[in-house]
Amino acid sequence: MKSPLWLGLLCIGIVLGLYATFKVYTVGFVLYAKTDVLVWTLPLSTYIFFSLTSAGLAFVSSIPVVFGIKRYEAIEKRTLYLEIAVLIGSFVCLLLHLGSPLAVIYIFLSPNPTSPLWWLAVLYHVYFVLLLSAFWGIHKGKVSKPLGVLVFLIAIGTSTTLGWLLGMTDARPTLNASFFSIYFPLTGFTSGLAALLLASMVPAHFSGREVTVDRSGLYNELARIMGIMAGMVLIIFLWRTISGGISSTAVEYRAFKHMIGSIPYNIELWLGLAIPTVLMLVPSIRATVWGKITASALVLVGMFFGRLEFVLSGVVRPLGQMAEGRPEIVSYVPTIYEIFVALFGLSAMLMLYTLGEKNLRLDAVPE
Amino acid sequence: MPRYAMVIDLQRCVGCGTCSISCRNENNVSEGFYWSHKITETSGTFPDVRFHYIPTLCNHCTNAPCVRGCPTLAMHKLENGITMHNPKKCIGCRYCMINCPYGVIYFNWKKPHEFWREKQVLLKDGTSSPAAEVRDVGGKGVPYFNPDRDETLLGIRPKGVVEKCTFCDHRIIKGELPRCVEACPADARIFGDLDDPKSQINHLLGKFRPFRLKEAVGTEPAVFYIRDFSAAGYLRTKGGI
Repeated sequence: MKSPLWLGLLCIGIVLGLYATFKVYTVGFVLYAKTDVLVWTLPLSTYIFFSLTSAGLAFVSSIPVVFGIKRYEAIEKRTLYLEIAVLIGSFVCLLLHLGSPLAVIYIFLSPNPTSPLWWLAVLYHVYFVLLLSAFWGIHKGKVSKPLGVLVFLIAIGTSTTLGWLLGMTDARPTLNASFFSIYFPLTGFTSGLAALLLASMVPAHFSGREVTVDRSGLYNELARIMGIMAGMVLIIFLWRTISGGISSTAVEYRAFKHMIGSIPYNIELWLGLAIPTVLMLVPSIRATVWGKITASALVLVGMFFGRLEFVLSGVVRPLGQMAEGRPEIVSYVPTIYEIFVALFGLSAMLMLYTLGEKNLRLDAVPE
Repeated sequence: MPRYAMVIDLQRCVGCGTCSISCRNENNVSEGFYWSHKITETSGTFPDVRFHYIPTLCNHCTNAPCVRGCPTLAMHKLENGITMHNPKKCIGCRYCMINCPYGVIYFNWKKPHEFWREKQVLLKDGTSSPAAEVRDVGGKGVPYFNPDRDETLLGIRPKGVVEKCTFCDHRIIKGELPRCVEACPADARIFGDLDDPKSQINHLLGKFRPFRLKEAVGTEPAVFYIRDFSAAGYLRTKGGI
């Protein structure tokens, strides 16, 4: 795709996002497909998608720094930069989810350490600063091992704390309690690998840039790991379905039972997990550029819908007095403003990445 | 320091909704919000059908999951057991709504009391507009604005934050009962100190077999229910096969 056309499309996405931002903060969150029941919807699930992908990228970037596998240094700088861009995309969606983002200052002025959300906010602040520092170091040609280790540890912290955040909600066991503290890092790693493969291979393919044999081998390795991860996640995903969705008799699980038949669930299962696993298990497909690009794109699409499915599993069934006068399961279709918010996060992330790709020599290997 | 709780006598409650209406007036509650609400259930099949009515409000749980999860302590416990909210600290994440098993927390998706900001009249030279009516009576947002609510909480909560029942903490500090308790024509709501063994609520809790909503979740609600209402009778029987 020609660069001006690509940049133009991203600008349209950002303008639509800015329009949604203006409307949301003047008219109100009533523009979302809100009811008092559906309190978390597409903007939050998109934030979760981006933030876990960023954590997954942190796991990839830690391979050379933390685990000492030197050949991965070739993709270190690109991975770190993509991590920052994806994290900013997640912040965009989060800001448009929060009702009073200016009050976030009270995270520091009035802390509540019993809240996983407080820990998550603190971890993200530290994470962002560390990422910028680590990238700056690499941009100057030096890799800092202590920084790399810290980024790795905090990425474990953010992805597992997100699981704690949802696992703490005794009122909504369909959020699958501590299960998500394992599921989130694994799926994050999978989507991080997919994002990196796409971000590395697509620009190279469209610009006609020659990919070295070493780098090509690295992509094959990453694709193989992604296939293995998708397969592992698929098994956990199916056990989640069996334990919560089929065998559980608790009324609270009716929301999840409902979601099993939903479009997001099936996209996650088939497009996001089953097909990419099969594609990446076949060596002849894995060896091709298009095989890797297709599998990575499918993983990302599947994970995006998976985050939505998981958020909706927790909210579609009204609790307590909210159930008064409502059906047992509330249906959800995102509004155009919610779609604009998701598009805003994606466009902002891709714009940052595109600008970095052009100006920051992302293929440079640190000393 | 007292530990406040409420007992709701389901035999006395006739389901008139006075609690809900008086609460709206006292706390300037916006349309669509129910700090004081109800759960209705029907059981049986026609003609043997029964209608159950359970008044609900914030349970001011001792182990309040909304407080535990709030990242900024906007939702917090007072020493007297009341679960209170500070809208100034609220970031609008709605995590409290996710954590609350009772569905008693509401989010201001838009500016509250939208109807009363309407400047258009229904009949020209015939009726006044809602906004003019508010202005004429010197109200703040609504014509029936209660300034007392402003004493401990924003009188009308803004867009982007949550809100819920506070057991009328602004009345309690003046030695008055919560408005819903005072307004109940059947005296179905009894309020008092759980730590005072001689309080009327402890008398009732010892006399009857109380229950609380979703006790298995372990939140230790401070709203108790006693008795049940049924005027129905039946012929003594052992059933049959």
